[in-house]
Amino acid sequence: MFETRFVAGERRTLVLLPFNLDRLLDDWTALRSQMSRRKPDPFTRDEWAYLIGFLDRDHLEHAFRQAFGERESETRDPVHAVALPGGPVAVWLPNNVSLLGPLVLILISTTGNPVWIKSGSRGDDLTKAFLDYAVANLPEGSLREQLTTAVVAETFSREDARNGRWAADARTRLVFGSDAAVGAVQALPHPVESMGFSFGHRESEAWLETSACDDRTLESLLRVFAVYGQAACTSPARVVLLEETRTKALELRDRLLELWRTLFPRDPEMSVASAAIRDHQWAAARGWDSRLAPRHGSAFAVGDAEMPKPNGSRLLPLTAMTVEQALESLPARIQTIGHAVSRDRERQLLRRIVPRGVKRFVPLADMHRFGPIWDGQAFWQQTFDRMELA
Amino acid sequence: MSELLRCPPYGPRNDCRLLEELNALARHHLDHCAAYAQIWKGWSASDRLAGIPYLHVGLFKLGEFRTDFPGVRHGRTLHSSGTSGSASRIALDEESSSLQSQSATAILKDFLGETPRPLLVLDSAESLRARGAVTARLAAAMSLRALASEIHFLLEDSGEEVRWERVGAALEKNSDLILYGLTSALWTNWAEAMSPEPVRAKLSQATISFVHSGGWKKLEAEGVDSRRLEQTLLAGVGTGSRVLDFYGLAEQVGLLYPLCEEGFRHVPVWADILVRDAWSLETLEGEPGMLQLVNVLARGAPYFSVLTEDLGRIVPGACPCGRSGKRFELIGRVPKAELRGCGNV
Repeated sequence: MFETRFVAGERRTLVLLPFNLDRLLDDWTALRSQMSRRKPDPFTRDEWAYLIGFLDRDHLEHAFRQAFGERESETRDPVHAVALPGGPVAVWLPNNVSLLGPLVLILISTTGNPVWIKSGSRGDDLTKAFLDYAVANLPEGSLREQLTTAVVAETFSREDARNGRWAADARTRLVFGSDAAVGAVQALPHPVESMGFSFGHRESEAWLETSACDDRTLESLLRVFAVYGQAACTSPARVVLLEETRTKALELRDRLLELWRTLFPRDPEMSVASAAIRDHQWAAARGWDSRLAPRHGSAFAVGDAEMPKPNGSRLLPLTAMTVEQALESLPARIQTIGHAVSRDRERQLLRRIVPRGVKRFVPLADMHRFGPIWDGQAFWQQTFDRMELA
Repeated sequence: MSELLRCPPYGPRNDCRLLEELNALARHHLDHCAAYAQIWKGWSASDRLAGIPYLHVGLFKLGEFRTDFPGVRHGRTLHSSGTSGSASRIALDEESSSLQSQSATAILKDFLGETPRPLLVLDSAESLRARGAVTARLAAAMSLRALASEIHFLLEDSGEEVRWERVGAALEKNSDLILYGLTSALWTNWAEAMSPEPVRAKLSQATISFVHSGGWKKLEAEGVDSRRLEQTLLAGVGTGSRVLDFYGLAEQVGLLYPLCEEGFRHVPVWADILVRDAWSLETLEGEPGMLQLVNVLARGAPYFSVLTEDLGRIVPGACPCGRSGKRFELIGRVPKAELRGCGNV
């Protein structure tokens, strides 16, 4: 085992890994430059760009810092705890998932645990596609060794016997999907000392203040929305324009439409265009003032606070409301609030949203940023076993 | 009642009259369906077909649209098969159902002839008993009712085995039959099934009009195309037998688009089609795009003009089969990109 030391305050943790952590991180970083030259077919440009960004060394190392503190060079100071990989991590992904599989794979690869990832039996399997790409393009070394020997990426149905075997053999279960699917997996027989993390259905929102809405901010909002539409639990299910009027919301919508044209000049896939037409009509049918984006990449609709929110995979609903109204109408299972507000407002909101069960309150651009703590659960850290020494 | 329904389905067209009726129908729905009026605020009558307002087919999966006007009698709700997710819900009404039935009958008579024959339905009677709802596949089968002297359901509620004794009994009385099934069911339950020898012998002497509709996805996955299906079906039956493949959708109930002898689909005089570009909604001539189907039959809900997710192309020129009006090719469905999210599944 290789040793890496971390310190948080006075507390030192020795992390034992089956590889040299720096070499593994170097390998991931090296893969980024390969990735920037060629995008494999299964991935969209946005997905590939997101993956490249995710592989930033500092970002990957952040998981260790968050869990154990800052890196520390060799020292004679005594350690207080030893952390080592706890055992196999089994991951259940939902159908129609995209990057979640590759992102989980990358994150868990740094823990030194074996990883078994099940993709949905319907939909593209980007996990296997990414794993194959990485193995084919990495030089011999720690990471390639880890990916070829410790990672399994498979696709099978929820009836498959492997579900039961994985649940019985895994030390950690990470289950993403609908509440019913998550419940079914967690109900499979599993060792008493194993750990299960459930990531069921949640919704997210974007909260904005006019004063903080320059074009750069709005472009962030559009990028966050464009990559998944409404399909992700971190997608903004609605945009809330705080303490503003409907007129301002209409102006915001029109500016978003203008920016869309320059930001996404290419034609969307036909299915996206069709969905946008549908969503635009649905929003209008429910009384929202809807407009289609150029070439039908999406639809943007303005409605009042009391109007029922129209759903649609390519629809971004916008509503002007007071902070009070925004808080009162938060979805019961809120995940992320992406914000673009003043510092003062941020501080004020923070105090008010904490009791509402919000799991993440992050700048707009970071809404989809997957990390070692998800839905408020420090799942990455919990894949380690710890021995306390002092 | 549309005047156009009194005309032969593929006779000379009166497109001025059609446009007039479509404009009136659009106004009727705008006046009596609030949700529809919200979508088409400010619409005014158009002097061209492309100006007739439409609803995207997917809206019928999101909500139920109803046009409430004095005298309307809404009845059961038609549910689409929903093979690719949730089902469409179409509010049926008495008046429209009557028009739709007349339409389907006229179209099918043009292709199958006027003589009533026993109709064998490759389905169970269970759907008939469902309260308040009717499935699209049963509606498709029942569109043949006017051509049927009697109806036999060939499947039991709980199984997929053809009850061959019912086929045998029907053949005892008549050697000219219509058999309807979903395309995939016709292959799986009939073409691939082994009928008992006595039934097989009778079938080989019988004239069977196989009528089918529905998607090909399942069969394509098994490597079965229309040619193979047709050859297999016709191999076991007598001379004069034929296979009729029609296209229709729950959101256009009453309108059937059978393939003609030349391999095209024709539009009856009380309907029309447009092809639209998905990215501009401009109408296309001769190029493939999203099909918009319109008709003058639907009064109880605004599904008279529907932008579908089916891809098609209008084929120029007159068809050698002799039917008038537009003809088109059905190319497939809008390719479904995977929705790549995480939790919302």
